[in-house]
Amino acid sequence: MTPRTTIKPINFICMAPQAQAVSLVGDFNGWNVQSHPMRQGPDKSWTATVDFKPGHHRYAFLVDGVLTLDPRAQGITRNDQNQRVSLMPVS
Amino acid sequence: MKKSSSRRSPGRVAPRAATAAQTPRGRIHPVVIYPFRQPADLGHLERLYAWVGELAGDPGTYARPVTVVDRKTHHANAASRGYLDFRTQTAAVCSDLVDAWCVDTCQMWYTGLGQAYDRGAAGDVYWLIPGDFNYGTPVGQELLGRLHDLPEILLDLDQDLCVGEIITDHNNPKQLIDTYGTFALLYTWFPKEAREIREYTERPRSEFFAIRHEFLGEVLRQRWFAYEQTVVTLLHAVFQQKRISRFCVGEITDLHDGGETLASALQQVERTERVLKTLWRARHEGDPDWIARYRLLEQQSEAVRRTAQILLGNLLP
Repeated sequence: MTPRTTIKPINFICMAPQAQAVSLVGDFNGWNVQSHPMRQGPDKSWTATVDFKPGHHRYAFLVDGVLTLDPRAQGITRNDQNQRVSLMPVS
Repeated sequence: MKKSSSRRSPGRVAPRAATAAQTPRGRIHPVVIYPFRQPADLGHLERLYAWVGELAGDPGTYARPVTVVDRKTHHANAASRGYLDFRTQTAAVCSDLVDAWCVDTCQMWYTGLGQAYDRGAAGDVYWLIPGDFNYGTPVGQELLGRLHDLPEILLDLDQDLCVGEIITDHNNPKQLIDTYGTFALLYTWFPKEAREIREYTERPRSEFFAIRHEFLGEVLRQRWFAYEQTVVTLLHAVFQQKRISRFCVGEITDLHDGGETLASALQQVERTERVLKTLWRARHEGDPDWIARYRLLEQQSEAVRRTAQILLGNLLP
């Protein structure tokens, strides 16, 4: 069994080839738009890796300033601003 | 996003560690709905109850599970040694059996959730687990490895309702019923709320959900319907601006091969319409013009139901 205190690196990928800037926001960084910019690769996808504690986490991509759900997320919920955001389990 | 899956190997339910803030977390109350028809092959039920036994073995996290058995099921199998042995030697060992005469499945939910609620406390969450899925298959075991997320989402993210969504293709009979029946009727009777529900889920009749103590208390005190109670619970959640989440629990098929006959599909559509009409009346019959609005909606609803009948007739056997 995995202790729930173990930190796990989680890889995120956002397919937004035309975007100028994409960042990762969520409870983990206080929804700070500057805290976790994503990096665009040769295939034009945007990626980032963040360490998470086990549990359930809310997050979203900010694509050129627009809050965007992760189509690969396992769930949907709302953040404290009542915006629809993605939900991620980490075990 | 690709991330580590939350799946745990079936049969291994990890005890929850204290949160960083060390705040006391509510307990999780599993409520298992015993299959109405006793399956010939007990393998799926054995797999389910091996997992329920794991839950029962972690009393710090889980309250003693409850299993609701319809008395009709019991009487139909009273001479079956297999049923009686499973009941006494497996189900009753890891859960408290609640025997009740029920008009339909949702009354079994009402009975089980109500009993668990009476044992619960503020901050607890209640977790509905249907027994009639093929848990012994690889897909079913994957489902068992994900179901724990539903109540944990309520606790981790302070939510009121978490609906487990089953991914199916667009031609799946249940998906067709929801697309042409459930949502079409919801858009007729409760258009604003239907839009919000669909922002969360494509499966508003899901039998997998977890609900917080306080919200369950409110829902139990509302009129309870014999069927399609998940739709009603979702509507109450939207009416009252509750915090709703949706979580994918996998891709599964029913024990009875997942197929729906046209007759069964039409019955489900008719039930949904009946429930929505009743709920609409209950909310609006105090309005001065309610009867004129009701008649208009009833005409529209009939047209929607007939259209669903045509489409489902074209698509289902």
